[in-house]
Amino acid sequence: MILLWGVLEDSPLMAIRRALLRSLDLTDIIFIDQHNMLDTKVDLIVGPDIKCVLHNDNQITDLSSVTAAYLRPYSSDYLSYSKNASNIDNDALRYIAQVEDILLSWTELTPALVVNKPSNMASNNSKPYQSVIISTVGFKIPDTLITTEPQAALEFWKQHGIVIYKSISSIRSIVSRLTPEHLQRLENVCNCPTQFQQYIEGIEYRIHVVGDKVFACQIISPSDDYRYAVLHGQTVDIRPCVIPPDIAKRCKTLASHMGLSIAGIDLRCTPNDEWYCFEVNPSPAFTYYQEASGKHIDEAIAELLVKN
Amino acid sequence: MLVILASVHDKSVEHLVELWDSYDVRVLTCKELSIVGWRHYLNDSALSTAVVNGKKISNEQIDGVLTRLPYVAETELSHIVNHDRSYVAAEMMAFLVSWLSCLKCPVLNKPTPICLLGPNWSQEQWIYAAAKVGLPVRPIHRQSSQSNIINNAVDDVQRVIVSVIGDRCYGAVNDKMAEQSLRLTREAGVDLLSVHFAAYEKGFLFITANLWFPVDSYNISNAILDYFIESNKKNAAHRQRSPQLEHVK
Repeated sequence: MILLWGVLEDSPLMAIRRALLRSLDLTDIIFIDQHNMLDTKVDLIVGPDIKCVLHNDNQITDLSSVTAAYLRPYSSDYLSYSKNASNIDNDALRYIAQVEDILLSWTELTPALVVNKPSNMASNNSKPYQSVIISTVGFKIPDTLITTEPQAALEFWKQHGIVIYKSISSIRSIVSRLTPEHLQRLENVCNCPTQFQQYIEGIEYRIHVVGDKVFACQIISPSDDYRYAVLHGQTVDIRPCVIPPDIAKRCKTLASHMGLSIAGIDLRCTPNDEWYCFEVNPSPAFTYYQEASGKHIDEAIAELLVKN
Repeated sequence: MLVILASVHDKSVEHLVELWDSYDVRVLTCKELSIVGWRHYLNDSALSTAVVNGKKISNEQIDGVLTRLPYVAETELSHIVNHDRSYVAAEMMAFLVSWLSCLKCPVLNKPTPICLLGPNWSQEQWIYAAAKVGLPVRPIHRQSSQSNIINNAVDDVQRVIVSVIGDRCYGAVNDKMAEQSLRLTREAGVDLLSVHFAAYEKGFLFITANLWFPVDSYNISNAILDYFIESNKKNAAHRQRSPQLEHVK
């Protein structure tokens, strides 16, 4: 039995479900639909053994029958703005949080393959913490300064010539280049430690590791943050590619070291053939790259879930 | 120098500073993350600086950090405008996780990316880990309901709290309890943990474990201080240079 948790309008989850249904029956899949959390009940008993029973979708399922789970739950903030929002008041949100909390506990304890366990995904909450882990497997990381000192930021900028700044928590920010227009605002860094990073020139890659498989894409864009290229009227071209075997192996080692069965890894290769790693996304929106590159990452994930 | 990372609302810290008054002890709160002077170089920690008690110091001057703050809450950040508070709280949390992880001195406990005190385990995870290392447990039953039922209540019996600090236990009534508390502490990958038991005539039952616990007793605060002194001595011997805590204050 495979468990999926999320919302069907989420394209990675939908792609996995479609891929699973190519080899499984609908009855082999349990779907925890976040839009129906108010109709979901969960019962968890933990001692030396774990027993968890899920009541949803007019079914009762003993979760010990689950061999693998794929998690893409959205925050309750998202749900309160979603299509069923009219049913969701504070009591309902509290109930949903409780159900999710119990299910999250189960995902940490179950012997089933969980893609990915929340505790293993947590390094994404502190990018500099994650960078240090990245460096232990042999990838280069850009020179990085996190500071409340405008003078330190200026010195760092002078040292590296081109510097970018971006958030360090899981709150997404647009990666931006520091320019003379920022000088006046630089004083604001005294309010909160702010990250500055050496700009690394080179070709950008997104690598998806799925178990022992590696899918590589090359990204061609003039933008400092290709995710927002189109918004800024710039182009982005994503092409399938092959990366050197030692780099592919290092990506697999990194994902495995972080306890991740799947990962989206952001790399850049400099003209001197140095490979820098910027980030590991533990819950990658792989469909964006899949659609552009034609690589069937969804099938590989489905296979990983089924084979476990 | 010893640093206590604490909430602005944690009054017990003042008591700890008094108890450790023969050492150079300073309290760090989130407000100080909004002061000019922090430099956290990811690729060269020797150049990194911190701001403690309003003064800029080198990371190398810090001989130990006791963390009393589980995460950066918005309530710690009254000096930040309301509109930016949740973003700043997330960024400061991410910063502290990285800064504490990069320090070379002993940190009680090392942070995880979601909790500055160590692994942010649920009660179910503690029960399972306790059972795994051989502690007698009463299974916990959690059921989703409007009243949030959590059922592993123990009868009204005597409670024993064992405080584990490094490889020492305080408060254990017997060797077995001490040994099993130590085993649970190792399983959690921490050096500071309080383990709660229900004591019966014929034995004891694990109730829960906490990464945060009161440190105002003389024994506990002394044990924490000893932990830092001994860890620094070990590190110094390892690095073959003189212990730094010898010359504090």
